[in-house]
Amino acid sequence: MDKEGPTALERFINGVLPENPIYRQLLGMCPTLAVTNAMKPAVTMAAATAFVLICSNIMVSLIRRLLKPHLRILVFTLTIATFVTIADRFLAAYVYDMSKQLGPYVPLIIVNCLIISRAEICASKQGLAVATADGIGMSLGFGLGLASIATVRELLGSGTWFGIHVLPAGWPNWGIMALPPGAFVTLGLLLAVVEWGTRRRAATGIWRTVRMLWSWRHSPASSSSS
Amino acid sequence: MKEERNKGGYIGQAWLVILLALLYGGGLAGVQTALSGRIQQNKKAETYEVIPDLVAGADASRTEELAIRGENGKDSRAYKVFSSDGSHIGWVLPAGGSGFADRIDLLIGLDPEVSTITGLYVLDQKETPGLGDNITTAGFRDRFRNAPTSQPLAVVKADPSRDNEIRALSGATISSESVAAIVNNALANCRGPLQGLTAQAGPERQRLVEPAR
Amino acid sequence: METLTGLILIFISAALINNFVLHYFVGICPFLGVSRRVDTAFGMGCAVTFVISISTMLNWMFTSFILRPGAPLPAWVWRTAGGNPQTQLDLSVLSYIIYIFVIASSVQFVEMYVRKFSPPLYKSFGVFLPLITTNCAILFASLEVLKHMQDPANLWSLPQALTLALGGGIGFTLAISLMAGIREELDLCDVPRPLRGAGIALIVAGIMAMAFMGFTGVEKGVETALTSLLR
Repeated sequence: MDKEGPTALERFINGVLPENPIYRQLLGMCPTLAVTNAMKPAVTMAAATAFVLICSNIMVSLIRRLLKPHLRILVFTLTIATFVTIADRFLAAYVYDMSKQLGPYVPLIIVNCLIISRAEICASKQGLAVATADGIGMSLGFGLGLASIATVRELLGSGTWFGIHVLPAGWPNWGIMALPPGAFVTLGLLLAVVEWGTRRRAATGIWRTVRMLWSWRHSPASSSSS
Repeated sequence: MKEERNKGGYIGQAWLVILLALLYGGGLAGVQTALSGRIQQNKKAETYEVIPDLVAGADASRTEELAIRGENGKDSRAYKVFSSDGSHIGWVLPAGGSGFADRIDLLIGLDPEVSTITGLYVLDQKETPGLGDNITTAGFRDRFRNAPTSQPLAVVKADPSRDNEIRALSGATISSESVAAIVNNALANCRGPLQGLTAQAGPERQRLVEPAR
Repeated sequence: METLTGLILIFISAALINNFVLHYFVGICPFLGVSRRVDTAFGMGCAVTFVISISTMLNWMFTSFILRPGAPLPAWVWRTAGGNPQTQLDLSVLSYIIYIFVIASSVQFVEMYVRKFSPPLYKSFGVFLPLITTNCAILFASLEVLKHMQDPANLWSLPQALTLALGGGIGFTLAISLMAGIREELDLCDVPRPLRGAGIALIVAGIMAMAFMGFTGVEKGVETALTSLLR
């Protein structure tokens, strides 16, 4: 089942910019908008997602030869949910304030399409090293995306970065940046900037995930997705 | 393809899922055992850390958590606060209600006879950033210190002329009124039971416990 | 009557004031992906409302009887097995796993049911049904209910959980249909190339979110009105 696929290094580089989860694949929008009102929660969320993604990729890659095709989504979901619970408990134990601020968005990592699509596309088909590199690359890309949006929102919204005042005191805080409209508009404009810079349309990763789930249910013996 | 599915029956197909479920279940149980103590500590510390700020001279480690029945018939929680030499110096009452945007949760510090408010702390709020969310600042919360509980508190926009008046936050009148309303409701509900508990506890500290957790 | 006021407030809060899509940012993926035409968007909204109600109801039952600290069923099993009746059992560490499996199973059952009893509806849903499994909004509704099941003195009842789910689903349907209507018009406009697709959709969503922000504070007013009305 080990296909000749991209190497570990290719997977790693791919995840950071060319197939950036937020700007190019448009996956994981929910935490992207919700936790990026300041840098600290954004970085914490990126770390939690990185933990879940890397551990889940490692686990799936280790058991890839034992997976039955029609039960694999079940196994992925079980693995991801377990690691998310562990991450959530660790956050509540060691950074309780941040865990309260992030609230329900940490368990929502379970339905982050990014993780299940990486498990399907890469971890279930390639070896441990490649899967780990893919996990690390995608996590870096996700973190970069979150950090970019959080930087804009925090600087404009309260003149701080990581809680440290950076802009002069005379800056009138754009309160709207901390609220939902600011999140949507910031992401939309940054997305346009990235598309203009790369001159390529972002492929909506959500449809790839959907086709994968659809194909699983309607041709159970096939192990390949879209 | 169909044969592959029926090969070995259900167990043959699902053994991996069952094994993983057991493995993960064990892992989660381990994490829960290791971390639940710390998480409970964190939850308690949220309240206990602020108690010295709410009731002057309090020793937070001696605080007792009690369940009381309010005038509205519902159970609620109260914290009996002691100083380091063991004397009962006040109460801390958690209170909550609807604010402008969403729910506001407060801690109210009171003296043992429940006649004066000794402090206020905002546990949780989701008011407008920059306007309503200034209810968490010490400047606003200190306006409640030394307010009497004999009459309901009123929020005014000018400087307060009477004991039970509190000046509103500029640009956040409704949030200020919500905080005052929450305090008034909590006091109306619990003042009687708390005064009764203070009166009952004589020289030997009588502890009414079914502490809600 | 107090409970009816409470239910109305929960419903209005979930549907309008704290709209799942425009305030809590859940369900964004289908919101961006499926809102091209009003009929598909409305269909998606209805499917989501249906699944969210069923799965939140089931998750409430699991939480109330098995998963929360001090739940009756594990306590009964523990006592019958001869354990110390004073220890409080807490199975909440399994919550997220149970929730996601209940949601995935609900979607499966809804799909089987619709396929059997209404094939044309099944065809029109097409590929949307599996998309619902990864819809954050459904898991989010269950998580909100879990948040209110922590304090044993103040547990949410089944009607409250169901109202939250219905309100959330209807709010989602409202938002996605509005977005689809706007996007149908946008198709006829000259949108700059970098903004086409997701970019302009997000900016429109931002403006919609600003409009929905106008509902802030309505909850207090409705509460006062209802309590005085029902007195």
